[in-house]
Amino acid sequence: MTQLFDLLALDAVQRAAFALLLGAIGLPIVGVVIIGLDIVPVRFAMMHIALLGIAFGLLTGVDPLLCAVVACGLSGAGLAPLARSASGLSGAMGLLMSLAIAAALLVLSISGVNAAGAFELLWGSILATRTGDVVLLGVIAVVVPGLFFLRRGQLALLLHDRELAACSGVRVERLTMVLLVLVAVAVAGAIRLTGALLVDALTLLPALAARRMAHSLTGMAWWAVGFGVVVNLVGFVLALLLDQPPGPVLVLLAGVLALAAHLIPERRTPEWQSSPREAVSPH
Amino acid sequence: MVHGVDLVVEPGERVALTGTNGSGKTTLLRAVLGLHPARSGVIEVGGVRAGSAADWTRRRRDAAWIPQKQAAGRFPLLADELLASSGAPEHARTAAEELGVGHLRGQPLHTLSGGQLQRTYLARAMGCVAAGAGLLLADEPTAALDFAGQADAARMLTSLPVTVLVVTHDRAVVNRCERVLEMAAGALREIT
Ligand SMILES: Nc1ncnc2c1ncn2[C@@H]1O[C@H](COP(=O)(O)OP(=O)(O)OP(=O)(O)O)[C@@H](O)[C@H]1O
Ligand SMILES: [Mg+2]
Repeated sequence: MTQLFDLLALDAVQRAAFALLLGAIGLPIVGVVIIGLDIVPVRFAMMHIALLGIAFGLLTGVDPLLCAVVACGLSGAGLAPLARSASGLSGAMGLLMSLAIAAALLVLSISGVNAAGAFELLWGSILATRTGDVVLLGVIAVVVPGLFFLRRGQLALLLHDRELAACSGVRVERLTMVLLVLVAVAVAGAIRLTGALLVDALTLLPALAARRMAHSLTGMAWWAVGFGVVVNLVGFVLALLLDQPPGPVLVLLAGVLALAAHLIPERRTPEWQSSPREAVSPH
Repeated sequence: MVHGVDLVVEPGERVALTGTNGSGKTTLLRAVLGLHPARSGVIEVGGVRAGSAADWTRRRRDAAWIPQKQAAGRFPLLADELLASSGAPEHARTAAEELGVGHLRGQPLHTLSGGQLQRTYLARAMGCVAAGAGLLLADEPTAALDFAGQADAARMLTSLPVTVLVVTHDRAVVNRCERVLEMAAGALREIT
């Protein structure tokens, strides 16, 4: 126990804990949006695009991680027009992924940088969190929940049915673009925190667990943030106690939670069966 | 699919659209809302031809649409959220009470029965009209309703102070419309 407190006194550990707490506020809501837009493979696409951004940064001398975030944001905006059909986004992301990795390798070869160095930046490490990452996560923690609660009615309509949203006065193209840019930037930020392979623990897994617990978009967002906070804080402390890398511990914990949520039998509300009026006066 | 349709509906007129399955009735209604891109031809509403995205947004907001396929959707939506999307939540909620689905407001749409869902969409349309929509586009709005519901809905839909274009095979609705058109293989024919 004293060992834990010694660790918690360290600067890097404190910054990591703070980053995880910030991440737990915005990223699980992003996960809910990812499920709602049906773009679960988005993280693979962003991983490749981030690599292209890093390569560009290494070539030009601009901060590679900033380039990665910008590249992800731009590609999110570029994808928006393809969201019109249900299959449009997934197909386009596959294509984008291949193009981005090809371009990245080409740029790396031109810039004469060792490709392994660029890939290394993708792994991320929670304990190596930099101030820039904390700022990005802080912005996400404010912007995502803020936008969500201001626009939750429109968002619920859009994720339910695009045409219904369009016929309710929602500007679907613009809202979709904002969502895709946010998702892209947030995933890029989360990749920095846990590494590309473990980014699900912060985004998708809390959202998947929440989907099981709530029947409305707002309810899901609350549950997702709750799960996110619990997973991140408990997982981080557990990792410190066990002296293991935080990333895998977080993923395992989030995975167990999502699985447990799916084992709970689906909730049934009493009104679901019959109307109260019918119950009183049978015809 | 739909071709050579030349239809003028006067403001405040009630027009029933009938015709064989697959003849293009739904396609025609969706084209009015820009949900089905027209390859050629012009559809004006209130003398306005929609060009820009803003035009389409305005036209869609100015219309109360009851879709034929009331999709369960990819993501849960509460009945109350559907009612609120009309732009006049209180009116839509009152209409939902009148239509006997007021108590289901807190339920997600996918847990409603077909008729309950259709009643909720009807209530939403009432809200849209209260919010200022001047055109009602209803696609088989009574197809899932019980006998009493069909009669109530027919009365409700045709006593609104708006222009009505309703696809229907329900006698009660047809009888309350001034004009009846029949669509066959994508072309229109006036019956009365
Ligand atoms: N999304 C689509 N893609 C391709 N064809 C379609 C699509 N929707 C409808 N169709 C075709 O267009 C034609 C007209 O369809 P529409 O839905 O307008 O018919 P309808 O008159 O409303 O029929 P119903 O009485 O069965 O509702 C049909 O042949 C149908 O198969
Ligand atoms: Mg039809």
